[in-house]
Amino acid sequence: MNLKLVFKVVGRILQIEAAAMVLPLAVALLYREDPSPFLWSIAIVAAAGFLLAATPTRQHFYIREGFAAVGLIWLITGLVGALPFWFSGHFASFVDCVFESCSGFTTTGASILTNIEALPKGILFWRSLTHWMGGMGVLVLATAVLPSMGIRSHYLTQAESPGPVFSKLVPKQSQSSKILYSIYCALTLAEVACLKLAGMPLYDAFIHAFGTAGTGGFSNRNASVGAYGSFAIDMIISVFILLFSLNFAVYFLLLTKKFKEILQSDELRFFLIAVAGATVLISINIYPIYSNLLETFRYAFFQVCSIISTTGFSTTDWSFWPNFSHAVLVLLMFCGACAGSTGGGMKCSRVLILFRSIRREIHRIIHPRSVEVIKLDGKVADEDTVRSVLIFIGCYLLVILSAALVISLDGFSFTVSFTSALTCVSNVGPGLEAVGPAGNFFAFSHLSKLVMSLCMIIGRLEIFPVLVLFSRSTWRRA
Amino acid sequence: MKIVIVGNGKVGYSLAEQLVREKHDITVVDVREDPLRRAADSLDIMVVRGNGVSADVLREAGVVGADLLVAATNSDEVNMICCLTAKNLGTKYTIARIRNQEYTASLAELRRNLKIDTIINPESATAVEISRLLRFPSAANIETFCRGRVELMGFRLQENDFLVGKPLHALSAQVKKLSLLFCAVERGGQMIIPNGSFVPSVDDKLYLIGRPDSLDQFFRLLGRYAPKVKQVFLVGGGKISMYLASILDRAGIKLKIVELDEKRCRQISERFPRAMTICGDGTDQELLESENLSSYDAFVALTDRDEDNLIISLYAMQQGLPKIITKCNRENYAGIARSVGLDSVISPKFITASHILRLVRGMQNSQGSVMNSFHRIAGGAAEAMEFTVTASTRHLGVALKDLSLRPGVLIAVIVRGQDIIIPEGSTALQSDDKVIIISCNSGITGLNDIYAPERSASGTSGGQQ
Repeated sequence: MNLKLVFKVVGRILQIEAAAMVLPLAVALLYREDPSPFLWSIAIVAAAGFLLAATPTRQHFYIREGFAAVGLIWLITGLVGALPFWFSGHFASFVDCVFESCSGFTTTGASILTNIEALPKGILFWRSLTHWMGGMGVLVLATAVLPSMGIRSHYLTQAESPGPVFSKLVPKQSQSSKILYSIYCALTLAEVACLKLAGMPLYDAFIHAFGTAGTGGFSNRNASVGAYGSFAIDMIISVFILLFSLNFAVYFLLLTKKFKEILQSDELRFFLIAVAGATVLISINIYPIYSNLLETFRYAFFQVCSIISTTGFSTTDWSFWPNFSHAVLVLLMFCGACAGSTGGGMKCSRVLILFRSIRREIHRIIHPRSVEVIKLDGKVADEDTVRSVLIFIGCYLLVILSAALVISLDGFSFTVSFTSALTCVSNVGPGLEAVGPAGNFFAFSHLSKLVMSLCMIIGRLEIFPVLVLFSRSTWRRA
Repeated sequence: MKIVIVGNGKVGYSLAEQLVREKHDITVVDVREDPLRRAADSLDIMVVRGNGVSADVLREAGVVGADLLVAATNSDEVNMICCLTAKNLGTKYTIARIRNQEYTASLAELRRNLKIDTIINPESATAVEISRLLRFPSAANIETFCRGRVELMGFRLQENDFLVGKPLHALSAQVKKLSLLFCAVERGGQMIIPNGSFVPSVDDKLYLIGRPDSLDQFFRLLGRYAPKVKQVFLVGGGKISMYLASILDRAGIKLKIVELDEKRCRQISERFPRAMTICGDGTDQELLESENLSSYDAFVALTDRDEDNLIISLYAMQQGLPKIITKCNRENYAGIARSVGLDSVISPKFITASHILRLVRGMQNSQGSVMNSFHRIAGGAAEAMEFTVTASTRHLGVALKDLSLRPGVLIAVIVRGQDIIIPEGSTALQSDDKVIIISCNSGITGLNDIYAPERSASGTSGGQQ
C-alpha cells in the first residue's frame, strides 16, 4: 500500500473542496450573512490540502491504492463538508453536522434539521452544493479539472462510478470526465432556467436544481417542493429527475448521433417501464384520496420519479397514502436509478442481471446441461460481471440488515429502523413513518447517526471501496 | 490523434503504452477478454471487445474518422481484412503487420489491392537490425540517417580507452579533425547531452554521430576496430533466424544454426545449404562447447524464451566472443541485461513499435518540416530524428549560437547537398537542409518544436565541441 500517494491524492481533492467552498462564501456575502464559517473551513481544508498534496512520492498506483483512496477520500469528505455546518452554530452536535454532510455528498438528502428555513442562505447553499458535487463524483471532478493527476486516474473514477460495468466515453479518462461534467452542468443550468421561468426565485431554483442534478433531495423549504404548490414546477422537477437518473452515456450517444445504440439499451427500457408501471399502480391506489385524475397523476408521478431516482423530494406528505403505495415505493428504493447516472440504489442493470440469472437458474434445473449466456444491452455480460452483480446484491441486503440491527437499538418500530437503513444505503432520503417525507432523523442516537452516515457512503460507493478499507490485507505491507 | 489498435498482443500493448504517453486517443480492439482488461486497467485507453474483421466492432471502436489504424493481431489475414474494412469506413491511414514469408513476395500488390498504407514485418525488421549490428561489430547499436550517409552508434567505454578522464574539448587534434560529434551519454540509466567540458568515465555509454568513414577511423584510433564478422553462431531457428540467415548468407557469412526441432532443421538446411544446421538444444552448454562456440566472431541468441537467450548470451560472453546479440522482448529484462554487460539487446516488439511511432510522429507534424527517420536510443531514453528543413521552419539563416533551443535538445548533424556538417556556433539552418536532432524529451514532432518557447539571449545550440 503506497499510503503517501493516497495522501497526495487526498490532498488534491481537499484543495478542490476548499475551492468549492468559495461559492457558498460568495452567496453568504451576497446576502450579507456572516462569512466566518466558510472562511474558517476554507483555511483549514486548504491548509490540510496543500500539506498533503506536497507529500513526495513515487508514482506507483494500482487498483489497491485506487480503491483505498476513494474510500478514504469519501470518509474525509464527509468530515470536511461538516466544517461549515459546525462553525455556523446551527447544529446541536458535530455528529449531526457529519450526518448532514454525508447525506449531502452521497446525495441521500436525509436531514436532521427540524426547521430548515431558519438557516442562513449560505449554509443551505453549501448543503445543496454538496449534492451537486457528490452526484457526479468528487473524483470525476478532480480528473476533469486537474489534468496532471498524473496517476492512472481511471482507478479512481472506476471506483466512484456507479454500475456493474465501468466504461469510458472516449479513450482518455480526463476527457471522459470533462464530457460528463459538461453534460451535467448544461442539464443543471437548463433546469435552473426552467424553474426560474415557472416562477421560482433564482436562489431556490439553484437549490432545487442541485438537489435534482445529484438526485439528492435537500430543499430550502420545510415542505420540500410541495411548498410551491405549482403544477409546472412539479412537472419540471419530475422530468429533470428522470433525465438525471439515466445513464449519462445516453446523452453522449445522442450528441454523437448514435441513436441505434440508445434503443438497444435494456436498462433504459426497464427503467422507463418501472417508472410507468409504478405510477399506474400508485395512481389506482391513491385515486380515492384525490378523486381527480390530473391531481392523482401529478402526485403519483412525482413521487415515483423522486423515489426511483433516489432523490427524495416530496410534493405531499405521502405517509397518509395506503400501505400498498408504500410497498411499491420501498421496492423502488431497492431498485434505484440507471448505472452511470447520479442516482443511487442497486441500479436497474443489476436488477436486470439478477432477473436474468434467476431465469437461467430455473432453466438449468429443468435442462441441467443447457448453456446460456446472460445478455445486457444486446451484449454478452461475462460471467465475472454476473458473479460480482450477484455478490453485490447479497452484500447490499446484508449491509441494510446489519444497519437496521444497530439502529433498532434506539427503540423505534421495525418499519422505522428498516426503512431508515434502506433509505441511507440507497441514498434516497425519506423512509416511512417517523422518518417519512415530513419527518427527519434528529431523534436518533449518535451511534445510529454515525452508522447511517457510513451506510450512505457505502451505498454511494457501491459497497466495495469502503469494505476494502476495513480489510486487513489492504493495509499489509506485502 | 485518434488511433485504433487491433490486437492487444506484445506489439499492440507496447505501442498503446507508447502512444498514450504521447497523449493520443487510443482504442484497443481484441477478441480476448483478459488481456483487454489488463490493458484497460493499466493504460488510459478505451477497449472494445470483438473481432477486428467485423465492421460493427470497428465502427464501435471509432474507426470512422480515425487518423490511424494499426492491425497487429496474430493473423496476417485478419490484419489485411481489418485494414481494408477500416479504410472503407473512413480511416485515414492503415498499418498492417504481415509476417508470413509467403506474402513477402507480393507485398506491393497487397498494398495496392487492400489499400494498406504501410506493411510491417517485425521479424524481418529485427533481422535487418541484427545484420546491421553484425556488419559493424564495434558498436553496441547503430542507426542510420540520410540513406546511410550518417550513422549514429553507441559503445561502452572501457578502462583503458583514451577518452576516459579527459574533458571532450581536450581531445587530440586527430580526433577533432574527424567529422563526428559526441551527441549523447548514458550514465547510470540517465541520458546526458554532453558539452565540451564533459568528462567521460568508465562504463558510460557514448553515442557518436557522423560519417561512417569517420566513425570507422575513430574506432581505429580507439583500438577497438573489429574486423568484419565472418562466422556467426545462431541459436534458434524461428522466423527471425530465417530472415537473418538469408541476409547473412547472401553476404557470404558462414553460419551455424542450432535448432531443437528436427523438422524445422530440415527446412533450414533445405533453404540454406551453405549453412551448418545443428539439431539440438541451444541452451545446452556442452553442445555449444562441442560445436566450438568460442571460435566464432559473433553469437546471436534468438530462441523463443527471453530467459534462455539471456543465459546463453552470458555464457557466450564468458567464452570471450567479441560480438553478442540477444533477443529479449521484456523491457525490464533488457535493462538488467545491459547492466551485466550485454549491450546489444534487441526486441522485435520495440523495433516494431518504434517504426510505427515514427510514422505517427511524421503524420502528426503538419507544418514546419517532414520527419524522415526516427530512432529511439538507450532503451527509449532519448530519440534521434531526421527532418528536412522547409520554408516554414522558423529561424532560418540565424546562427545557431543566437538561437535558444529547448533544454535536452541538440542539433547533431546538418546534411546540405553532398556535405555533412557538424554544426558550430556560426552555422545556420537553410531550406532543404536535412537535420538530425537528438532529444532527451519525447514529443518533438516537427523541427519548430526544438526551439525554446521563449527566446532568451543566453541560448546556445547545446554542446558543440
